[in-house]
Amino acid sequence: MASRSGFRFLLGSLALQNLGRRKPRTFLLLAAVAICSGAIFTGAVLMRSIETSMSVGFTRLGADMLIVPAGALTNITAALLTAEPTDLTLDDSIVGRLQHLKGVQKVAPQLIFRTDASGYSRGGDLIDLIAFDPDSDITVQPWLEQHLDRPIREGDVIVGGRREETLGSEMLIFGRPLTVYGKLAKTAVGSHERGLFITFATLAALRDPMRQICGMKAPLEPNKLSGVLLELAPGATTQQVRFAALANFPGIKVVSAESMLTSIRQGLGALLDGVLGLMIIMFVSTALMVSVMFSAIITERRRELGLLKAIGARRTQIIGMLLAEAGLATAIGGVLGCLLGIVLMRIYEHSLVYYLDRMGVPFVWLDGRVISIIAVVCVAFAALIGAAGALYPAWRASRSDPYDLIRAEI
Amino acid sequence: MLACADVAKTYATERGPVEAVKGVDLTIDRGNFAAIIGRSGSGKSSLLAMVGGLSRPSRGSVSIDNTDIWRLSDNQLAQFRNRHMGFVFQFASLLPTLRIIDNVALPALLGRARVPADAYEAATQLLNQFGIGGYADAFPAEISAGEQRRAVIARALINNPVILLADEPTSDLDEETEREIMDHFHAINRSRGMTLVMVTHNLSLAEQADQVVHIAEGRLAA
Ligand SMILES: Nc1ncnc2c1ncn2[C@@H]1O[C@H](COP(=O)(O)OP(=O)(O)OP(=O)(O)O)[C@@H](O)[C@H]1O
Ligand SMILES: [Mg+2]
Repeated sequence: MASRSGFRFLLGSLALQNLGRRKPRTFLLLAAVAICSGAIFTGAVLMRSIETSMSVGFTRLGADMLIVPAGALTNITAALLTAEPTDLTLDDSIVGRLQHLKGVQKVAPQLIFRTDASGYSRGGDLIDLIAFDPDSDITVQPWLEQHLDRPIREGDVIVGGRREETLGSEMLIFGRPLTVYGKLAKTAVGSHERGLFITFATLAALRDPMRQICGMKAPLEPNKLSGVLLELAPGATTQQVRFAALANFPGIKVVSAESMLTSIRQGLGALLDGVLGLMIIMFVSTALMVSVMFSAIITERRRELGLLKAIGARRTQIIGMLLAEAGLATAIGGVLGCLLGIVLMRIYEHSLVYYLDRMGVPFVWLDGRVISIIAVVCVAFAALIGAAGALYPAWRASRSDPYDLIRAEI
Repeated sequence: MLACADVAKTYATERGPVEAVKGVDLTIDRGNFAAIIGRSGSGKSSLLAMVGGLSRPSRGSVSIDNTDIWRLSDNQLAQFRNRHMGFVFQFASLLPTLRIIDNVALPALLGRARVPADAYEAATQLLNQFGIGGYADAFPAEISAGEQRRAVIARALINNPVILLADEPTSDLDEETEREIMDHFHAINRSRGMTLVMVTHNLSLAEQADQVVHIAEGRLAA
């Protein structure tokens, strides 16, 4: 084995052994780099997660606006997927009239009926029946993850992403059998995830037994809607459409994606700016610290470097060896940091998700592939910090005369 | 042939410039054994470092076999040192984290003129020749100063240099070891026709040389 170890191997082991020679110092260096890259890794993963959460939660949904009765509560997370179940209703004649409003492209009516009297109790007694129109729908079918191999029809039900019914199975709702036609992907919006989605035709067929069991509730009157989701024409502004809608239809409330997003973005923006600033400060201070540390390390090793030069090591070899050593040390620190970050995120996942939920952001973790890419980039950055920090001291040492390097320690 | 023309070295210090070597002209014929003697601080080590391509002269030139070494580029000079020169320093100069065998093979590996297997083969031969073959896998701290010195000499010889420069190579060793090392030097000097330049305080050692260079206060003394 010894006879096969070449020059590169020897320089490599010189670098490694030098790190091992000063264990407390190496530990300190690794710890500092680990903390820095752990913070950067965690920050980056969280930032990207929040970004994707926002785009999943809002942008992809298709609805730009929601029109509900004036007194209705709206949950801003859920608003662009469904209206909230209330007894307040709109008359369905609004659909045709909204269609003629300038700037409106699609009008998707929904009726939501929350009940604990359906007779179906798998996954809880309380269910949200959400009626939608398959032809104009913009927020239900885009989320269909799996469905039977045929178009949806009367008597079908689509279940939310967190429900456990299997495709094709039967559900008895108000005594009527419904076929599970499809299942939605997880959206992280509660009412959407637990809801049962049916067409207006299916709702009409259920109306009689519902009235018998629940009595004559407002949403069960014919021609009523809980809300209308709008998609705007390209170029139309929410401002225009909001004004037009409010002017034409008294007693409504308009919730637009823009106002929600801006308020959330403002909150998150401040948070993310802070994280970014912190990351930059950590990066710079770690690079400086590594540089100072390597100045000391290199000063301490001047004789060794002088000897290497004396026996014929070239400047580039000296610099290469020192940079490799520094880069290796900080890359190890980077790996430790990423592991630390993953552990921390696992530990604090619950409080984090809760906090973000309260800010109106449904939290969606990045997938493993993106997280590993971020980790690899972090480790590369850590190695770069080390190499950059060691560059100047290494360059200075490499240009000294071997005799000066050798004498320095005497 | 080794020729110095008016080499001088001035060190910049905080107390002002120190003129350690003040213009030395010197020729040493190929295959000769030259001893540099002089009082402490007279500039012997500084002169040797300039001759060996380790310390750039403030003025003057050094040529070895018609190569003006201080006109070479940094990389060329590094290669020249590697191929044609061997050094034995006064202090322990093995890399502490490498085994003896690695230390000795290092110049051959650095030069890349030989494949690693050949370098290690040559290193093993030299260690055996110097009677420390049993310590090949030891680390420098695990062997005595005299044994270390022999390992350094083995390292200096691994690339078959044309010139060997030694700075007080035996100053801190007992007489027995000193004599052994001097015998090695004489043997190498004779058998390989290698020029040997050695700094020493020891006049009895200097008497064994073909040529004695006496330095006083940075100048050649008569
Ligand atoms: N790097 C340096 N910086 C400043 N002054 C130096 C340096 N190297 C040597 N000197 C000075 O130059 C003079 C000659 O030093 P040098 O080491 O060449 O002497 P020397 O003859 O080898 O002495 P010794 O026999 O004690 O080893 C001394 O006065 C020394 O202080
Ligand atoms: Mg000296």
